[in-house]
Amino acid sequence: MPAPPGAHPIQGDRVVLPVEIRDAAVASAMFPVPAAAAQAVIAYSGLEVVRPLPGRAVCSLAFVRYADGDLGPYHEFAVAFLVRPPDGPPDSPPDGPPRKVGAFIHWLPVNQAFTLEAGRTIWGFPKEMADIRMDLASRTKRCLVRVDGRTALELHVRPGVPVPSGRGAPSVDAYSCMDGVTRRTPWTLSPGGVRMRPGGALLKLGDHPVAHELRGLGLDRTRALSVSTVDRLRMTFQEAAEVRT
Amino acid sequence: MTAVRTALVTGAASGLGALAARRLAAAGWDVVAVDLDTGGLAETARRSPNTHVRVCDVGDAEAVNALVAGVGPVHRVVHAAAIGPLVPALEQPLEDVENVLRTDFLGTVHVVRATMPGMLERGGGELVLFSSLASLLPVPKTSAYAAAKAAVNVYAEALAAEHAGSGVVIRCVCPRQVDTPGFRAAAADDPAATGRMRGVPPGLVLDAVDRSLARPARDLYVFPDPLTRVVALARRWAPGTVRRLVGQVTSSR
Repeated sequence: MPAPPGAHPIQGDRVVLPVEIRDAAVASAMFPVPAAAAQAVIAYSGLEVVRPLPGRAVCSLAFVRYADGDLGPYHEFAVAFLVRPPDGPPDSPPDGPPRKVGAFIHWLPVNQAFTLEAGRTIWGFPKEMADIRMDLASRTKRCLVRVDGRTALELHVRPGVPVPSGRGAPSVDAYSCMDGVTRRTPWTLSPGGVRMRPGGALLKLGDHPVAHELRGLGLDRTRALSVSTVDRLRMTFQEAAEVRT
Repeated sequence: MTAVRTALVTGAASGLGALAARRLAAAGWDVVAVDLDTGGLAETARRSPNTHVRVCDVGDAEAVNALVAGVGPVHRVVHAAAIGPLVPALEQPLEDVENVLRTDFLGTVHVVRATMPGMLERGGGELVLFSSLASLLPVPKTSAYAAAKAAVNVYAEALAAEHAGSGVVIRCVCPRQVDTPGFRAAAADDPAATGRMRGVPPGLVLDAVDRSLARPARDLYVFPDPLTRVVALARRWAPGTVRRLVGQVTSSR
């Protein structure tokens, strides 16, 4: 039977888009980093980092527990940079609002095989197998990522104050670049139980190429701009489209 | 990589058990998900290669023994399987009462007897047994359920006393109403009997269980949310007031 449009064969099963995540929990931190160095890290994508302050870009680290979703249950850690939407087609609809800031996913270790294959083949997300331990039950949320038995990094996120989750589902574009192909994935998020605070992150970097890159950006010596936690997050991921940069 | 640990989760087709199974699977545990509802079990295990489903009635000792024998060492048990029909005590058929006691109380006994000896031999393990606030604060129409859960409490207390210092951590979790499909159905059917309360999110209950496992082994009881803690304390120190309040919220008018 031919797969319907938007269906992807993954490990003997068929993943139909959009992929829905019904229950996830997240803790994240945003760090200011030197823009030129950050630009060099993501140069392979052809995208350009956003510079909210002169000479500064933003690097975001997040850990996510997917409890109920179309890719099964798993843990994930994300290293992302805020990027400018690339110019040129396919891009902003002529009469629509200009595309907003996007998140370029630079590294996305996960701990389960199904989501690893789905993420890489459907969207070109840079998923890699890792051992990912999390404590999301305590006030300070903790995550430890180990690859091949060696610690890559450890992130602690301290508790913030409750903030309104906002109405509706904000939509963001996630960008990825695998095998020289840069893609944009429309992504919507509806968070519940959100807490934020300025600062509040503790990052320890270990022995992994990405940890070395983050060290090069000074991330282990930088105070976070802010941290946030989300108790209940629903998300959808649409089909990815190739972008020319 | 650290060695894979195995968790046995009962009542894994819906509600607390399903969420517990998914969270453990997400964390990389090998999860044996047990229930009678095959459709619900399949949903829990969807796209989770490390979740293994087993159809088993926890009220059947032999079936539980056979199940555990085929699983190998179990490092954590999350025993959430239970039934709780809301029926006035004198109107509940005896068969129904026996069924509740068999599933809720004897089910716990069967699961403990099948898994705990292995844990004692290995000198470690975690037994998370779900009881209910109803065990301390029985309300109208919960007689059999509350009695079975009260039996779970004292069974867990005796067990913990017999095996203090063994390395096996026992938790007796007493949540108030939890927002599960089962509770929603009961609340829609009979709002008075459920006190017209909104259930506490299951994730919050499981967070409290996770935190409790980091505390000393002797800390047996887990009261997951502030309201549950207040009610449990008030029940002990101001039983008359609590009785009057419960009477008010559970009256059918």
